[in-house]
Amino acid sequence: MYIKIDMATCDGCKICYNVCPQDVFTWNEETKKPKVSYEEECWFCGICWMDCPERGINITYPVSIS
Amino acid sequence: MTDDLTEIADKVIETDVLMIGGGVGGCCAVAKAKENGLDVTLIEKAHIDRSGSAGQGIDHYEGFFTRDGTTTLENVSNEDWRLGRYGVRYPNLNVKYRLYKCQFWVFEQLEKLGVPMRWDDGEPYWIPFPFVGWERRKTGLRVHWTNIKPILGRAVRRSGARILNRTMAIDLLTTDGKVVGATAVNIRTGEFIVIKAKATLIATGKLMRLYNPETPMPWKYKFRYHFCPASSAGDGYALVYRAGGDLVNMDINAWTFRIRDDLTCSYGSFSLNDGVPMKTYTWDGEEIINPNATRYKQLEDEGKTPIYFGFDHFSEDSHKRLEVAFADERMLSFKVAEERGFNPKTHRYELQDLSPTGFYRVSGIYIDENFRVLRGNEPIEGLYAFGDGSAGGTSGVAGAATGGLLLAEDLPEILKDMDEPEIDISQVEEHKQIALAPLAVEEGVEPLELESAIRDICERYVGMFKSEGKLREGLRRLGSLKDWLGKLSAESPHHITGYLECRNLLDLAEVHIKACIERKETRGNYFRSDYPEIDKDMDGKFFSQRIENGKEIIELREPIPLKPEYLKDAEEEKAELQTADAAS
Repeated sequence: MYIKIDMATCDGCKICYNVCPQDVFTWNEETKKPKVSYEEECWFCGICWMDCPERGINITYPVSIS
Repeated sequence: MTDDLTEIADKVIETDVLMIGGGVGGCCAVAKAKENGLDVTLIEKAHIDRSGSAGQGIDHYEGFFTRDGTTTLENVSNEDWRLGRYGVRYPNLNVKYRLYKCQFWVFEQLEKLGVPMRWDDGEPYWIPFPFVGWERRKTGLRVHWTNIKPILGRAVRRSGARILNRTMAIDLLTTDGKVVGATAVNIRTGEFIVIKAKATLIATGKLMRLYNPETPMPWKYKFRYHFCPASSAGDGYALVYRAGGDLVNMDINAWTFRIRDDLTCSYGSFSLNDGVPMKTYTWDGEEIINPNATRYKQLEDEGKTPIYFGFDHFSEDSHKRLEVAFADERMLSFKVAEERGFNPKTHRYELQDLSPTGFYRVSGIYIDENFRVLRGNEPIEGLYAFGDGSAGGTSGVAGAATGGLLLAEDLPEILKDMDEPEIDISQVEEHKQIALAPLAVEEGVEPLELESAIRDICERYVGMFKSEGKLREGLRRLGSLKDWLGKLSAESPHHITGYLECRNLLDLAEVHIKACIERKETRGNYFRSDYPEIDKDMDGKFFSQRIENGKEIIELREPIPLKPEYLKDAEEEKAELQTADAAS
C-alpha cells in the first residue's frame, strides 16, 4: 500500500475523498471513513497528504519510481 | 421536446454558459461570468478545490514580457516555439498579443478573487530575467500558490454558479453546425446529464497521455506525469475534434517535462522560477549549456548522457529559497526526497530523457483571439476554448486565467441576442449509449490496460525518431485497438472515466500519427529519420485537422498575422520604449 490512512487519527472529515483529483478514494458509509479503492490510479500529487487536517495520511512511492 | 429529454437524462440543465473544466482557467471564467450576470454551469471531472495542473500548487506566474529592448509585446506574439530558429510558429499571433496585453488587469482581477499576487513583503516579486540559453524570454511573478485552487474554488462557490464536480463531458451537442451544450456523466453515481447552453467553454488542460509518464512503470501505478493526469487526457481536444473543430500542430509535441529523477522533480524549474540558474552537466561532470533536442541527441551519440542538473554552487540563501519553492508547488516530492536522503547541496539530479511528452503552446484546439474555436477559417458558433489545451496562447496559469477572464468579460455582449439552443434528441441518446455501455460489459478489459496499449503504439511507432514505415504500422495497430473500446468494462461508474479517456485518446492518437505522416521533414525537435533535412517551404506553416461531413480533412496553413490595430499598438509601444531609453 502506497497510501496509508491512519484510521485512529482520521476524523472522517471527507476532505481526501472530496478533493482527490484521480478519485482514488471511496467512502465507507459504515465506518464513516475513506477507503483507498483505486490506488493504481494515484499520481502521487500528495494533495490528500497535504490537505488532511489530522496529518493522518502517509504516501510512499512505488518501487517503479526510484 | 423537453419531456423527452427528461425521460432520457437523469438531469437536464439549461444555462447561459457551460464551462467544461474547473482548473484555474475554468474557475476564473465562471467567477467572472457570474459576476457579469450570466447563468453559469461548471462541470469538473475531479473537484474544483484541487483539480487541474495547478491542483497541488504553483510557484510562478509567467505572464509578463520583459521590456529589455529585445522582447516586446510584438516579439512575444511573433516568437517561434522551443525549436530554435527553424521553429514552429504560433498559429494565431493575435491570441498571444491579446493575452499579454492585459496582464496588469489580470493581476487586479486575480487579487479580487482572493489570489495572493504579492510576496511576503506585500510587493510583487518579479522573477529576474533568466540566463541566456533557456527558452524563456518572458518574466513573471514568484508566488506562494500552494492553495490557489482552494482559493479559486471558494470564489466560484461564492459566485453562486452551478457546480457539478466529478462530472465528465461525453460529447458536445450540435445543431446545424452550432454547439448547443454537452452531455456529461457523473463518475461516482453514473448519473447521465444533459446541459443546454448558449455558450460552451472548454478548458480541460493539455494532452500528455499519448506518451509514457516520467518514470518507467508498468501499466498500473503509471501516472507519474508532470501534470495531473485527469487534466492531461486531452478531453477538450477530442470533444472539439468530434464536433468538427480544428486541431492544429498535432504533429508537434514537447520533449521536456519528462524528468527522470522524480525525487527531485522540478528542482531545475524551481530555481529558474526564483531566477537562480542551475548548472547542467554531462554524466562525467563536464559543464554544458542546457541542451535542446538536437544537442541532446549529439550528447547521447557521444556517450555523454545522462545529463544532470546541479545546485552545489548555490549559496545557502538560494537553497533555502528552493525549499520554499517546493512548499509552493511540489511538497510531496520534497518530502520523499528528504526521506530518501537526496540532498541538492551535494547531489545532482538527472534532467530528462529524449522522449516526447505533451501537446501544448503551439498545439491543440485552433482558436482566434476571441477564444472562438475555428472550423477552417470560420468560428463555430457557441464554442470557445482557452488555457493549456488551446493552441496559440501562453500555457500555464497566465494563459488559463487570462483567457477565462477575458472571455467572461465578452460573454454578456455575445449572448445578448442569442436564441435558445435547440437540442437534437438522437444525439443525446447516442451519447448516453456510448457513455454507459461499459457498465453492461462483464469480464471485460480494464480501461488502464487499453490506455497503456495506446501509449505503447505512440512510444514505439511515433516516438522521437519517426519514419514513414513506423508511422503507418502504428496507424494500422491503432486501428485494431479501436475494437477493444467495446470490450472495456466498468465495474462501477468510476471506471467510465478511464473508458471515456481511452475513447478520447484513441481519436487523438490517430490525429497525431496522421499529422506526423504529413510532415515530411526534420525541424527543431521534430525528427524524421527518412527526411533528415528541413523543408524550407514548410517554414512557419502548420497542419490543421478536422472532421467535415464524416470526412477527415488535413490542411496546411499559415499563421494568422497580427491585426493592423495590434500592430499599431506595437508601434506605439516601440516608440514609448525608445523614448524611455533615450531618457535613461
